[in-house]
Amino acid sequence: MDTVVQSLLNGALMGCVYALITLGLSLIFGVMNVVNFAHGDFVMLSMYFAFFIGSMWGVDAVFTPAITFPLLFIVGVVAYYAIIDGTLRQKYVTQIAVTVGLMTFLRAITQLMWKAQPRALPYSLIQGSIHIAGYNIMLSRLISAVVSILAIGGVSLFLSKTWPGRAIRAASDDLDAASLVGVNYRWTYALAFGLGSALTAIAGGLLMTFQQVDPTMGVRFGLLSWCVLALAGLGSIPGLLISGIIVGAAESLSMALWDPRARSLIVYLIFILVLWVRPRGLFGRK
Amino acid sequence: MSSKPILQVSNLTKRFGNLVAVNNVTLQIHEGEIVGLIGPNGAGKTTFFNTITGLYTPDEGRVIFKGEDITGVPPHKICKLGMSRTFQVTKAFTEMTVEETVRVGAYNRHGEDDVMEKVDEVISFCGLEEIRHQKCGDLGLASLRRVELARAMATEPDLLLLDEAGAGLTAAELAELMEILRQLNKEQSVTLCVVEHVMQMVMGLCERIFVLDAGELIAEGTPEEISNNPRVIEAYLGERAIR
Amino acid sequence: MKIKATTFNRVLLGVVLAIALVIPLLIRTNQYNLVLVTTVLLYGVLATAWNIIGGMAGQLDLAAFAYLGLGAFTSGTLLIRWNVSPWIGMILGGLVATGFAVLVGFPLFRFKVREVWYALTSSALVEVLKVAFVMWEDVGGPVERYLPYYSFSLYHMRFGTYIPYYYIMLAILVIALLVNYRIGRSKLGFYLRALGEDEDAAEILGVDARACKLKALMIYAFIVGATGAVYACMYGFIHPSFFSGARSTEVAILGIVGGMGITYGPLLAAVILVSAREFLRASLGGQMESLYLVIYSVVLILIALFRPQGIAVFFQDAYRKLLSRVTGDEHVLKANTPGI
Repeated sequence: MDTVVQSLLNGALMGCVYALITLGLSLIFGVMNVVNFAHGDFVMLSMYFAFFIGSMWGVDAVFTPAITFPLLFIVGVVAYYAIIDGTLRQKYVTQIAVTVGLMTFLRAITQLMWKAQPRALPYSLIQGSIHIAGYNIMLSRLISAVVSILAIGGVSLFLSKTWPGRAIRAASDDLDAASLVGVNYRWTYALAFGLGSALTAIAGGLLMTFQQVDPTMGVRFGLLSWCVLALAGLGSIPGLLISGIIVGAAESLSMALWDPRARSLIVYLIFILVLWVRPRGLFGRK
Repeated sequence: MSSKPILQVSNLTKRFGNLVAVNNVTLQIHEGEIVGLIGPNGAGKTTFFNTITGLYTPDEGRVIFKGEDITGVPPHKICKLGMSRTFQVTKAFTEMTVEETVRVGAYNRHGEDDVMEKVDEVISFCGLEEIRHQKCGDLGLASLRRVELARAMATEPDLLLLDEAGAGLTAAELAELMEILRQLNKEQSVTLCVVEHVMQMVMGLCERIFVLDAGELIAEGTPEEISNNPRVIEAYLGERAIR
Repeated sequence: MKIKATTFNRVLLGVVLAIALVIPLLIRTNQYNLVLVTTVLLYGVLATAWNIIGGMAGQLDLAAFAYLGLGAFTSGTLLIRWNVSPWIGMILGGLVATGFAVLVGFPLFRFKVREVWYALTSSALVEVLKVAFVMWEDVGGPVERYLPYYSFSLYHMRFGTYIPYYYIMLAILVIALLVNYRIGRSKLGFYLRALGEDEDAAEILGVDARACKLKALMIYAFIVGATGAVYACMYGFIHPSFFSGARSTEVAILGIVGGMGITYGPLLAAVILVSAREFLRASLGGQMESLYLVIYSVVLILIALFRPQGIAVFFQDAYRKLLSRVTGDEHVLKANTPGI
């Protein structure tokens, strides 16, 4: 019983980070309907950036998003104007071909720069763990979860309260109507893509406090975030958080109770099951 | 006019969440007729078509085609039974040529040995010889509408539903289209149901007209009756007058 | 002298086939190059088979190596355990892959899982199978299982050189192309292309989208599964890493940039891109490891962005010009002749 609760706790905390990653993907997919296969590799890239900055300047991984957030935003905007913009009117297969190309490119670049071996930062400020009612909670995971939730809340506020945020939402609701009231869709799309990518910078910094990174990680985070998105459906930010937690908990539970190797198995099975049973997700509006 | 019904729709209702797109509609179409279905924007005409042809499953009500209950039957089976349609927003097979597109429809009732005969027949009937080998993606709207008509005709339907086939056409193109439809109705005795915004086409073509407003059937009758019906004027023409 | 178009087509096909037959004899001493050309053929087979489900039916399947792995494990296990010839294993491997395809495809198409979600599901399947086979210690497990070694045994499909594998792969490729060609000219082919373009419109014209997609998936899975048997013999072992998501995605990409639905498009893409990639890898090698991937991915992006119709279209135009010159018939320049 103890292991169950313990792994549920760990998984739920991890799930908050998954939700943050998926929020970025959902911005990109929900707003401009672009199928981004490279999203997981943006996470991987963020983690490498965090590693690079952390190891070069001795900055703690938690603080790296201060630099990587704007950096990834720029990478996202550049990627949008360079390649994504040209695929908006193409069939989705072309979009997938292009983003798969982007994915391969990011992976190859990181391999080129940091070789194939896993990298990790030596330590983090937020090491150690706290004990509550006999359960062990890693401080790094707890703080990651809290920061993720705060970031999700921040994005939520940004989307509802600020002018650019409302422009993004307008563009996602109805592109024609939004262009009528003077929203320039390219600018909005670039903003959404940049923001979606930049969110992976926060996740990447957090993940580096307790995890190592290798170039194949992108696939895992890519499929994982699509899984969370499928479970949540489009349009509900709290739904995203709950789905992230469900996926995280399921993953960690299967590792503890069944087999450590079954972790991805369970995620993909959830994914396939959701698509069969409830294609619009648990909280989706369409 | 033959009085044998080809399509009987009874108490058909289709909802999307809280919106009732089609509300308790009952109507009959007889063999050999040309009927029209009109109504202001958002009256539920296209939803009505989608529900009859199996793209949507109705929430209530029944659809009986040639004596057979086709409520909730998938579209391809309905097509085999003899009902086909065109789409308001053309759904062209952009990478296929006109000939290939028509061939898809012709396979409905023909095997490999005689499918091309059917294709040739339909292509000449619709006057598509000139553009036969062009890709649908390269065609203009008028040609696209005709190709859609052709591929639906190639399935050899007994009842053909046309969803705004005249929208966006010039007067000359419209006249040509109406001529094709009249021939189709007379020579091949295909029953036609025309959803239309272009009043000229409905009034000139149809023997009977149904009027939908906000999902409900508010009137039916001959073109003269309809154009004098106060409820129709209020719902449909009134909307025009305000504009 | 003017020749007829059909004659010209036959001559051209004959020349290509003759070159394909002679290649291994020219490079027979260089095993590395033999592996390379056989790999090109392998991707040619996979992408050509993919054309049925992906190119024609428009279902972006990202699970090629799931079916390949199932075929490899079926045939490999039969050979290791019961000494069953891979020639029989090929058929059985194909059937197992087909069975799996039905198992997966039936509910997917039933619940109308479309487009990106179909792509992602199939991609997830590869990973599911990989983990499942790592965990299933009786058949898979984390360690390679070696097939018995023979320097030349037709029965065991085990050879000390790659030349026989090349010819087997070439034979499968020819079959895959013929299957593609036949389907492309049949009712199923027209139906698949129609539903690949617009499923609703196709259904209204009498196309049973579910049944057609399932048929396409089954044919594709069978070809790929049977190829898996040869794949296992060629590598001499079976291992869960055969279930590779990245390679499966690559097969789909070859199909897309080759030209969706054009019979020889995917093959063309495989020949050009896979050999270019391997050439880059070999010549850049060493410390610039993975630079080849950077270049490769940039090329992919550029093709997808600027030639969304696929590279086969280039060849179609060039071919038509050539044909018109040889036959003296201006008409072929305009005529839409699918599949050439």
